[in-house]
Amino acid sequence: MAPSTLPRKRKAVTRDVPEMSDVESEAEFGDGQLEGILSDSGLDNDSEEEEDEESGEDELDEEEIPEDYRDAENGEPNGARNGLVVHESLRSDGLDDDDAPNYTIEKDANGGERYVYKDIDPVYDSDDSDFAIKDNTIGDIPLSFYDTYPHIGYNIDGKRIMRPAKGEALDALLDSIEAPRGWTGLTDPATGKPLNLSQEELEILRRIQTNEVPEDGYNPYPDMVEYFSGIQEIMPLSAAPEPKRRFLPSKHEAKRIMKIVRAIREGTILPYRPPEEREEEEDVEVHYDIWQDEQARPNHITNIPAPKAPPPGYDLSYNPPPEYLPTKAEKQIWESTDVEDREKEYLPTKYDSLRKVPGYEKLINERFERSLDLYLAPRVRKNRLNIDPASLLPKLPRPEELKPFPTVCSVLYRHKERVRSLAIDPSGIFLATGGDDGIVRVFEVTTARQVWHSKIGDEEAVNVVRWRPGRDATILAAAAGEDIFLMVPDIVDIETEQASLDLLDAGFGYATNTVQALTANGARKDPVAKWTRPGTRLEADGVLIKITVRSTVKVITWHRRGDFFSTVAPTAQKSAVAIHTLSKHLTQIPFRRLPGIAQTVQFHPSRPLFFVATQRTIRSYDLQKQELIKIIQPGARYISSFDIHPGGDNIIVGSYDRRLLWHDLDLSTRPYKTMRFHSKAIRAVKYHKGGFPLFADASDDGSLQIFHGKVVSDLMENATIVPVKVLKGHKVKSALGVMDIDWHYKEPWVSSAGADGTCRLWM
Amino acid sequence: METFISEPAVRQVQVQFFTNSPDIALPEEKQQLIVPTNIGRSGLSQILNSDSMLATPNIVPFQFLINSSFLRTTLEEYLSASGFSTETQIRLEYVRSFIPPIYEASFEHDDWVSSINVLSAHSLSGRDALKFAPGQERILSGSYDGLLRIWNKSGQIIATSPMAGDGGHTQGVKAAKFMSQNKIASAGMDRTIRIWQYTESEDGFSGKLKPKLELYGHKQYIYSLAVHGPSNRILSASGDDKIGVWTTNEASAPEAPSSLLPSSIRSKRRKSTASVSTLQRGPLSLISAHTAPVQGVIFKPDDPTVAYSCSQDHTIRSFDLTTSTLVDTRTTSHPLFSITALPGVSNQLLAAGTSARHITLLDPRMSASTTQAMTLRGHTNLITSLAPDPDSRYGLVSASNDGTCRVWDLRSTRQGTKEEGSGPVGEAMYIIERNSQNGAKRPVGGEGIKVFSVAWDKDVGIVSGGEDKMLQINRGKGVTSIAT
Repeated sequence: MAPSTLPRKRKAVTRDVPEMSDVESEAEFGDGQLEGILSDSGLDNDSEEEEDEESGEDELDEEEIPEDYRDAENGEPNGARNGLVVHESLRSDGLDDDDAPNYTIEKDANGGERYVYKDIDPVYDSDDSDFAIKDNTIGDIPLSFYDTYPHIGYNIDGKRIMRPAKGEALDALLDSIEAPRGWTGLTDPATGKPLNLSQEELEILRRIQTNEVPEDGYNPYPDMVEYFSGIQEIMPLSAAPEPKRRFLPSKHEAKRIMKIVRAIREGTILPYRPPEEREEEEDVEVHYDIWQDEQARPNHITNIPAPKAPPPGYDLSYNPPPEYLPTKAEKQIWESTDVEDREKEYLPTKYDSLRKVPGYEKLINERFERSLDLYLAPRVRKNRLNIDPASLLPKLPRPEELKPFPTVCSVLYRHKERVRSLAIDPSGIFLATGGDDGIVRVFEVTTARQVWHSKIGDEEAVNVVRWRPGRDATILAAAAGEDIFLMVPDIVDIETEQASLDLLDAGFGYATNTVQALTANGARKDPVAKWTRPGTRLEADGVLIKITVRSTVKVITWHRRGDFFSTVAPTAQKSAVAIHTLSKHLTQIPFRRLPGIAQTVQFHPSRPLFFVATQRTIRSYDLQKQELIKIIQPGARYISSFDIHPGGDNIIVGSYDRRLLWHDLDLSTRPYKTMRFHSKAIRAVKYHKGGFPLFADASDDGSLQIFHGKVVSDLMENATIVPVKVLKGHKVKSALGVMDIDWHYKEPWVSSAGADGTCRLWM
Repeated sequence: METFISEPAVRQVQVQFFTNSPDIALPEEKQQLIVPTNIGRSGLSQILNSDSMLATPNIVPFQFLINSSFLRTTLEEYLSASGFSTETQIRLEYVRSFIPPIYEASFEHDDWVSSINVLSAHSLSGRDALKFAPGQERILSGSYDGLLRIWNKSGQIIATSPMAGDGGHTQGVKAAKFMSQNKIASAGMDRTIRIWQYTESEDGFSGKLKPKLELYGHKQYIYSLAVHGPSNRILSASGDDKIGVWTTNEASAPEAPSSLLPSSIRSKRRKSTASVSTLQRGPLSLISAHTAPVQGVIFKPDDPTVAYSCSQDHTIRSFDLTTSTLVDTRTTSHPLFSITALPGVSNQLLAAGTSARHITLLDPRMSASTTQAMTLRGHTNLITSLAPDPDSRYGLVSASNDGTCRVWDLRSTRQGTKEEGSGPVGEAMYIIERNSQNGAKRPVGGEGIKVFSVAWDKDVGIVSGGEDKMLQINRGKGVTSIAT
């Protein structure tokens, strides 16, 4: 069959699509035969070829088989010629079977018709249990039933079938016959003698029988001698030049390749496996691209792009600069630390060449970590203010532009003990100081020459000194203990001194005329203050009036006209605040009850208002209407001092809890600005009253701070406050620094009283 | 001509020497010279002193001025800094180099020394100066103890003013001045001006101060006096913002205002019964032009009818004294505490010391376009006193509360930085420390070493007094003349 199949197969394979058919192939193969194969095998072959698309010639050989088989079995009218013949004969046979009668009509003796039927062939070939063995008629009885008998059954004639002789009998027979060793029962044709085999020949026979190598000592697996190997020998086995055929493409191969190529072109061979439908797999695992619909979003504050991984540095290079390479110690430290505690997740390593770089073993880890970071990082814009801190600061003018303001200590005034208070007189020539030594001193401002002094406190310190405003008279008020002294220092000309004396003495006589208030039980109430002469010694010094109140006076504040002054004695309960009238020698207690311990008081610079500071609040009262106007709450815990801007609408407050507060009275009762620049308590604050927009505070840390505080008349505009200078120089003595400050009435000069026993003038 | 032939590598420049002092002037043919550019002041000074040039017996150090500012670098650097080539001819003015004022002596006082005045041939004018015998220089010092002292140059007190009870000052003296060889005016914290008759014995080792006149009128301390001997006029600057115009002529002086006389006081503490009664007079006029204490007043050097005053109200004002009217006001930016005229530069240049630690030079003429001509910076405290250099037209000395006197030369300037305000800024040539400090660090606020007054006399030197109770004389030897 093979010879006949090969050309047929070839025909099938080399068949061309009609348009591509060339003369050569048509000439070679018969048209009808070719087409017959093509027409029916085209479709059927597809299924078979699909299975083995890429295997080579073997498949081609295999595929022949069904073709041939088909041709043989059910050849079609236009099939191969010999096939057609077979089928025609078969068909004629089939017609006989179906239609012809199974008898023959013969003439009998009578001359009548006689049907002679054919013998029936019972076909015993079939699987018929009735069909018995012809020899033994015992049927289906097992032979073991005949074990005890010498026969094993009966034949069709009824004769016993005797049991055949068994091995034992044969062996006994054979044993009775002695055969020589090596006897074969054959006759050696050469000698005519019986052929006997030698021992060696028997051994060879045995080996052949046992499938061993007959020859003794033969090695069936000798070591291979590689005559042809990849190793190029110095002396080649053959010096023959390479034959030409080695360089020429093989025609045969070309033909075979062309055959495959044609098959591929026709589509009979598919060079690749057609994609299988994978519906089942999709059911198993479904991946969603969650960023499928993602579009580039406009730059907006809520749009948070994934943070970029930091770019690799030099130490990530496969060949980093040597300074990036870890030393042995560093390596050891890195290895010994816990993975989570490591600063870097890798060690810089040097490789000679890029191809020696191993695969990055932590790639998965790293990708996972990165994904985790992206996934776990809150995609919420943190409201982080990325603002230049300098731009947050208000645009304040530079201090240099705000000159003049005091910058250096120009004059030093020396006391023996702590100076508690000081004041520059309205003409700006004199500076009065009072301190722990109980002496009131007056210095010339620019030369620091002490021009006058008087010891008014025997044991008590001088708590406060204040000049009477106005240049028509020169009167200094000072308080030591419970006494307030009014004095005319010997620093003025005779005319002014006379005017001052007249002012002081004008009130004598008034006190006796006033009706003393009576207590509930009718007794004369103790007057709140007694105005007397202090005694000849002090009178000779110029101290002319002594006012004795009930408690230690800490603060004296003059009304701008110079006729009233107010004193504060914080320890006195009801009579803490007193207002004294100079022209009448009269002392009044304006408040029956105060909401706290009074600290200090101020007269409003232009309106009839009176400000009283308690520990936490400042209250302003209208003196004419006798009513409370406003309660200012600076928020400080312990107010030490305050001052009213000469314009009257702003207040600065200093507190023992280190705060300096600026209040705009038109704005709010709360501070407009809080400044906490001192490290210790603030003891005194003061506005410059001579036209410069300056104010200063004095603190227990031994420093003064000078501020530029410009107030504009425009209500819409807030005050500009610029700290311009810190004046340091006072020494801190027993936790006390600067006790009091005062401005020159006109120049930007500030004087300060220090606990170190000095006063300083800063200009 | 080419006396100095230098190596060809060194560039040379032609210079022309000239001077304003006739005693050291070069002959005409020697004024032109070619000098190497790599020499500085000392090299040029050597050239001038050499035999072929001035042939001075003693070496006179010279300073050189180009365009009226001092040469501080080499010529090379000057040329490159100012952008001139070596082709140009440089006109070099040479002046005697100023010699550092060396400490000479200190005269001790009982109290702070508030004012200094020197009587010498050069401090007087007119006939008085001619009569003055050399060697009879006197130093007048006023002190805060209320006394005036007259010293000779060797430190002996020739005369002391009487105590308060005997017609002396009842409080500290703040200003004292010789009006003539035997007339002294003083004023101070007792608000009076006192005129003294000063008589000296024949040998010149003892003298007497006799109160002659008391002038009342000011209501506050008198800070400064200006005297004009020939016309017997006195100007006073006071803390009551007024300028007093006074005469020492008893006949023409008006009556003293009775309310200011000590006898008017009712208080018993002021009842100081004076054993000596002196004549009491009042002011010719009190000019209230200023709005703050007047700190200094001077006569215009060549015209006693014009006065300039400086005040803490930042102004310098000019007055016509014949009518006692304000003529002009020049406002500066700081309180002014001292004033002096610089007669050498021009009769119109005034120097005023401020509380802002510098000296302002300004031109008070009405026509002057800029108020502020120059600023001298360097002091660290308020400037209390100023005095012009008697020898140089460009020098002055200043006293300050920082305890130093500083000597300035107006030609030693640089351009001021923006912060200092544009315009030339001068720097001190020499700083005179208080000898009493012994070189210690200057205390804060000038405590104990404040200098209240300084005077500069041609014959005596720089005399200053202050809070250290010392009158200190400093003098640059050889400054005044070529021979010494």
